[in-house]
Amino acid sequence: MTRNGPFAFLFSALFVVFMTAPLVVVMGVSLTPEGFLEFPPSGLSLRWFRAILENPDFIDAAWISLYLGIASASLATVLAVPAALAIGRRRFAGRDFLLALFMSPLTVPTIVLGIAFLRFLSQFGLNGTFVGLTLCHAIFITPFILRLVLASVTGLDRTIEKAAESLGASDFTVFRRVTLPMIMPGVVGGWVLAFITSFDELTVTVFIVNPSTTTLPVRLFAHITQTTDPLVASISTVVILFTVGLMFLIERLYGLDRLLVGGEGR
Amino acid sequence: MAFLELTGLTKRFGEVTAVEDFDLTVERGEFVSLLGPSGCGKTTTLQMIAGFEQPTAGSITLEGRDLVAVKARNRGIGIVFQSYALFPHMTVAQNVAFGLEMRKVAPAERQRRVEQALALVHLEALAGRYPRAMSGGQRQRVALARALVIEPEILLLDEPLSNLDAKLREEMQLELRGIQQRMGVTTILVTHDQTEAMALSDRVAVMHRGRLVQVADPLQAYENPLTDFVSSFLGKTNRLEGRVLERQSGGCRVAVGETTFEAPPPPDEAAAGGGRVIVSIRPEKVEFRPAGAGLVEGRAAARIFLGDHWLYQVETPLGVLLVIRQNAGPAEVETGGSVGLAWDPAQVRLLPYEAQA
Repeated sequence: MTRNGPFAFLFSALFVVFMTAPLVVVMGVSLTPEGFLEFPPSGLSLRWFRAILENPDFIDAAWISLYLGIASASLATVLAVPAALAIGRRRFAGRDFLLALFMSPLTVPTIVLGIAFLRFLSQFGLNGTFVGLTLCHAIFITPFILRLVLASVTGLDRTIEKAAESLGASDFTVFRRVTLPMIMPGVVGGWVLAFITSFDELTVTVFIVNPSTTTLPVRLFAHITQTTDPLVASISTVVILFTVGLMFLIERLYGLDRLLVGGEGR
Repeated sequence: MAFLELTGLTKRFGEVTAVEDFDLTVERGEFVSLLGPSGCGKTTTLQMIAGFEQPTAGSITLEGRDLVAVKARNRGIGIVFQSYALFPHMTVAQNVAFGLEMRKVAPAERQRRVEQALALVHLEALAGRYPRAMSGGQRQRVALARALVIEPEILLLDEPLSNLDAKLREEMQLELRGIQQRMGVTTILVTHDQTEAMALSDRVAVMHRGRLVQVADPLQAYENPLTDFVSSFLGKTNRLEGRVLERQSGGCRVAVGETTFEAPPPPDEAAAGGGRVIVSIRPEKVEFRPAGAGLVEGRAAARIFLGDHWLYQVETPLGVLLVIRQNAGPAEVETGGSVGLAWDPAQVRLLPYEAQA
């Protein structure tokens, strides 16, 4: 391994500071004993963390975000895995179109998507429902899963599946026992990425929630348009810790660099 | 009735004909190699036997039963691939057990047969390992055990040894042949490596441009090739373009450039081509004579020591001839030295003329 020179080190250090500084500020602010946003905090207090418990609407919103993330990431995975298998290794008419279609939520401006979803859901009377939210989020996060699964599918040695077939496995058994386990890192990585994307989605979601299905990001957004108390900072801190914990768990299970960067590993 | 019978087997991919009118019968317990350069259709033929490709025309029968209509998973064929194709997320034992699981073999029986198969390839000790923690040779053995444990009707080997280094390859060849004979499993090997095909097989089927050119036991194919291609592809040969001058009792006189010598009778095709033939003389059939005493005179241009034998390049009026001599002491001829070359006329082979491929 080559050692980095001083400039590369400086650059990396600045980059890390730039990336983490906002998080540090938010976490610092959350510890303030005062009733306004201040950094560095004048003292240390868990006052604003206790305040979370006194605001059940935030906790309800967090549960909705959690359920929504799990439901939409799972739905999108069910869509993306077969799509990736087809796109990744078959040649058929309309393949490029299909890929472009699945990836399009990444290229369409989110505000346009939000308005479109609003119109669409209203048409079917699903506006503001959890089902409607799940469908829209699933569409929005499918590209993230598709990309990761596609990467693991293209690296797959097809003769392994042929070997399984010649040993007597049916198509479905080949998929369940051989193909799926081999692309599992891509599937899990995609699911996690999709879950996180859904969990903090705001721009699209703000159009299609109603008071009973308000997600955490929408609730936070509504809160800071009205007041500027450090409650948002403490909630953000909890979300940050939750995400870090999730990442840590995945790292232990599968290895993050392998999931998000690809390659062999382990 | 033959065990496995391929009749008129043809495969076209659009405009391209990969395999054309391929006929082959394989007896029970026989080891047959499909040998040819890449793109000759040998792998396509194997894929059709395995059931991964549907023939465009022709039939495949196993003991008289039609195989073409049978799905790959029901053909009962064991395959070993060049890439090993092991299941990376399963241990060695799980890999080997997979085919038995699919056959709903009871767990106790399954375990017994897995152990037996692993013992066959000397991997009992590694049953709990994952493939990624094994060497190429070990993975190849696992693949072999996995294919054999289901007691396949036919064992198909698709370039199974190509990814191994030379020394290991030789060891595996011997072992493979031993296992095949002990189990008596009918085996078809696809390879581009002529030494491998000759070392392992009861018969070699040489393929060229989608067609079967010659099927014979290895010695027969080597000594009496039917075509220029077989002669050049199996081993080394001195390939010369010649002309039949006159037929004699039991042979003929052939001319290569200004030089004439005796040879066995020419092939029938020679008459139509105005007597043009390909003259093939194997390098090991050529002997040294003192300068002036050979059928042809030359100068030793280069000499390569290959351990058990010497390889000489001798410049002659016929062109550069290869001569292989056993290493039975010091080299017989010095580089740059004049030398005569001679051979037994019966060892010359005359083949139908083909333009150099």
